[in-house]
Amino acid sequence: MKVRCRVALWVLACAFGGIAPLAAQAQPSRADWKGLWIGEGLTAQVSGFPGPGANYKLLGQDAPWSAEGRARVEATFARQADSKANGWGFPLMMNSAAPMQFLIAPDETLIINIYRDVRHVYTDGRAHPAEEDRWPTTWGDSVGRWEGDTLVIDTVSVRNPNRYFFSSPPLSEQAHYVERLRMTSKDRIESVMTIEDPVTLTAPWVVNLAYVRATGLDRMIHDDYDNDRSEVEDGLFTILPAE
Amino acid sequence: MIAAGFRLLIAAGCVAAAFAVHAHHSPAMFDGSKQLTLTGTVRKFQWTNPHSYIQLVVKAENGTEQEWSLEMGANVYLYNLGWRPSTVKAGDTLTATVVPLRSGKPGGLLVEAKTADGKTLGGAPP
Repeated sequence: MKVRCRVALWVLACAFGGIAPLAAQAQPSRADWKGLWIGEGLTAQVSGFPGPGANYKLLGQDAPWSAEGRARVEATFARQADSKANGWGFPLMMNSAAPMQFLIAPDETLIINIYRDVRHVYTDGRAHPAEEDRWPTTWGDSVGRWEGDTLVIDTVSVRNPNRYFFSSPPLSEQAHYVERLRMTSKDRIESVMTIEDPVTLTAPWVVNLAYVRATGLDRMIHDDYDNDRSEVEDGLFTILPAE
Repeated sequence: MIAAGFRLLIAAGCVAAAFAVHAHHSPAMFDGSKQLTLTGTVRKFQWTNPHSYIQLVVKAENGTEQEWSLEMGANVYLYNLGWRPSTVKAGDTLTATVVPLRSGKPGGLLVEAKTADGKTLGGAPP
């Protein structure tokens, strides 16, 4: 009799509440990382800029800059007016308006965005190349590991990010980046990025980031800069006339 | 401890941060303190990267015509908002809200576009 009652209650729950509440409790798996993701609150509007309240946490406003770091930041503000970028680079691609994808394979996770910023995160147990065998690049050298459902990424040898993208923090090539990414629901991935840099920071810089689904895209679309009408004139960009 | 002057500098940067971060060029070219409303006829819609553009021909009160270059986000950003290459066509009448160029030249950043019947194009992700 008790069993019949439980079954009846379950049927009633499904009929009136659906089974969604039960499904919602299911833990996301690595398969749920598929699709396109975008920095929370950073979706570009018609103008190309995100809406009010957007918070680009990796710009460095809360970073514990050293004297050298502060000097570098001031210098970056001074030269932004006539600067251009070809993409976001690392680390800013992890806190950007550019939709990105996590492609998880057993030995490697690829992180790619629409500006063709690509990170290869090797999860097969290999280490970084020896210091004398590697050199700084825009995206650095990344190795990773899975700790349960958390992807831990260790990145070194990143060229000063501000050289590639004029808004990026001017960290040194000695900076060490550790990210801990975890899917907290099927529509949200959270990340804690900790950056240590003996040249520009006085303490570890910890940045909490989140990614949500780019709901308007059902595939990755890449395009080159086929119509760059921006040109510097009297110290500021202007829009060149259209053909 | 962050020096006061540096804190002010960073704070100023933060106020402009959302506006300042763009994957292609600095937005210092646009006068963020102004917004214009322009109504005109589309000559061309460029569905391109790193920016899309609407070329809008606006008629002044004295009857003269002036073509404005209205800069938008990259085509993929627009796609994510529900725009498509066919969303705007030559000959369409649009009313545009624009942040103008500081230089005074006929160009600016497109904030919003409405069709002749008042429908807003794009806006938020579907």
